[in-house]
Amino acid sequence: MTSLLDTVSMALSTLRANPLRSLLTLLGIVIGASTVVAMMSLTEGFRLKVTKDLAQLGAGSFQVQKWPVMSFGHVDWQKYARRKNLTREQGEALRDLPHVAHVSIEAWNPGGEKLWTRERATKPNVQVAGGLPDYQFANYVVVAQGRFLSDVDLQLGRRVVFIGADVADLLFPGEDPVGKELRIRSTPFTVIGVAERMGTALGIESRDGFAVIPINVFDQALGRPLNHNLAIQATSPEDVGKAIDETVATLRRLRNVKPGDENDFEIFTNDSVSESFNSLAAVVAAATFGVCALALLVGGIGIMNIMLVSVTERTREIGVRMALGARRARILAQFVVESTVLAALGGVGGVLLGAAVAVAAREIWQVPSSIPAWAVVLSLVSASGSGLLFGIYPAARASKLDPVEAMRTE
Amino acid sequence: MTPDGALLSLDGISRLYQVGSEVVRALDGVSFEVQRGEWLAVVGQSGSGKSTLMNIIGCLDTPSGGTYRVNGHDVRGMADDALADLRNREIGFVFQTFQLLPRSSALANVELPLVYRGLPRRERRLRAEAALRAVGLGDRMHHRPNELSGGQRQRVAIARALVGEPSLLLADEPTGNLDSATGEEIIRLFEELHSRGHTLLLVTHEPRLAARCPRAIRLMDGRIVADGPGREVAAFGTAPVVTA
Repeated sequence: MTSLLDTVSMALSTLRANPLRSLLTLLGIVIGASTVVAMMSLTEGFRLKVTKDLAQLGAGSFQVQKWPVMSFGHVDWQKYARRKNLTREQGEALRDLPHVAHVSIEAWNPGGEKLWTRERATKPNVQVAGGLPDYQFANYVVVAQGRFLSDVDLQLGRRVVFIGADVADLLFPGEDPVGKELRIRSTPFTVIGVAERMGTALGIESRDGFAVIPINVFDQALGRPLNHNLAIQATSPEDVGKAIDETVATLRRLRNVKPGDENDFEIFTNDSVSESFNSLAAVVAAATFGVCALALLVGGIGIMNIMLVSVTERTREIGVRMALGARRARILAQFVVESTVLAALGGVGGVLLGAAVAVAAREIWQVPSSIPAWAVVLSLVSASGSGLLFGIYPAARASKLDPVEAMRTE
Repeated sequence: MTPDGALLSLDGISRLYQVGSEVVRALDGVSFEVQRGEWLAVVGQSGSGKSTLMNIIGCLDTPSGGTYRVNGHDVRGMADDALADLRNREIGFVFQTFQLLPRSSALANVELPLVYRGLPRRERRLRAEAALRAVGLGDRMHHRPNELSGGQRQRVAIARALVGEPSLLLADEPTGNLDSATGEEIIRLFEELHSRGHTLLLVTHEPRLAARCPRAIRLMDGRIVADGPGREVAAFGTAPVVTA
């Protein structure tokens, strides 16, 4: 124990003697370790955020869409484009299924709309949905002011709008928007309510830049809706499987899907979304490890190089140590510990740097990040490991010197 | 261990080097003994084999033939680790060029042999401090070698050689890199160590230094050509000698 402590403190004093050189040598290791920590923190942050967002969607619900929600790699977009649209009638037909409690039929236009009043306008990025009162439950909208759409609004075909917090802030700063008028394209709508702020989705996209109007007035402002998304609530979380089976059977019948053909629509549950996300996270992790392994390799070679230089420079010192009674194993250990300590310092630096990036991402850019302990441990272990591995050869060279020859070196 | 016998015992020591296709005989049948408490000089021109002899006595090298015992240990066939341990316990080296570690303080340099002996930190510190005080450097313990004069550096080296209480202090041209006044100081220190009972072996090409030693051995072409009181052996070198 004493000898290990001595060896480590010996190594530290050597590194202190060459601070700039040590620093430059460590760059590769620092980059490798910081990449792992930063990337894994971001991936972990996203994962936690996705899990949380999905949990908010509730356990008993699922979605039906024409388009896939998330996809990676090669996607045949033509295949999705050729599919028939989901119609409001198809959605209404699901209401009678035994294990379906609510069906939210939503009409969305691709892209965003500009909402405006006489005084102000939003950017043309507001997501406008044509919806039913069920929209509120399917999307977990909490009403902050006023009220949500009602059955009466739909029956009477009222031109009313329920708006997100960002829209309210932009168009009606410091005012109560309820009862005020705004226009979508040229059509006037009366504001009936404002949603409680929901924050950002996955830390990037604001979820408060939306507006919901009754689905049966959607065409008056934005043209006839072609495609619809369906958000379906099962009678209970345990019945989701049955509700999906019933929905699939009904939609296949209504959309004339031949037996044996695959569904011409997509079903998403929380599980399927998080599965997709996890496959993305795995790709990111693999890429990160690739970068990290490369950086550690480069860093390790840098360390080997500097250790070989160090052995050459300190040949005399090695000879003296041997003359004073250092066994060869002791010399070997000295240099291996030195390169390991050097690399471990690089690992610590990399972890700090990576953690700083992760914290900055969260605090400054509001990107979710969470530093996983295993990434820190992995970085430190692999950094030290590369120092150990690449330190062996120079250390072996040092330990094989002949003391008499070594002391004679200038 | 034979505490009654000679500290060093060399019997028919030879050392051959292969240089290209030729075999060079650096030492050829060298035999002598050194008793505890002796102060002995080995003199000779460069190329006489005294460095080779010093390396063998210091257990840095092993003989090609003959028997060498240090404090009862026969070094023949010893593995590197055993030789390292033997050096650590039995031999204290003092070199012409001091051979201090430049980045370490005087104290850390002196502690080094005890580090390799595996002594705990505290004991090392105490013994190193005592050794530095013994050579008159009690007030220079935390200086680095480049902050010390030549004489002070050699004192640090002597303290390092003594700190492990070795059987033998082995000095190679200890005054070679010092001016004559400083060299004199170091010789006085050796005299003092000798009077305190240490066994000293000096390797030198300077007859003046050999003349100060009670006993000297003269080497020529790898053989002992004179062994006797330092003054006589030193004079032997200055007089024109015809070797038979």
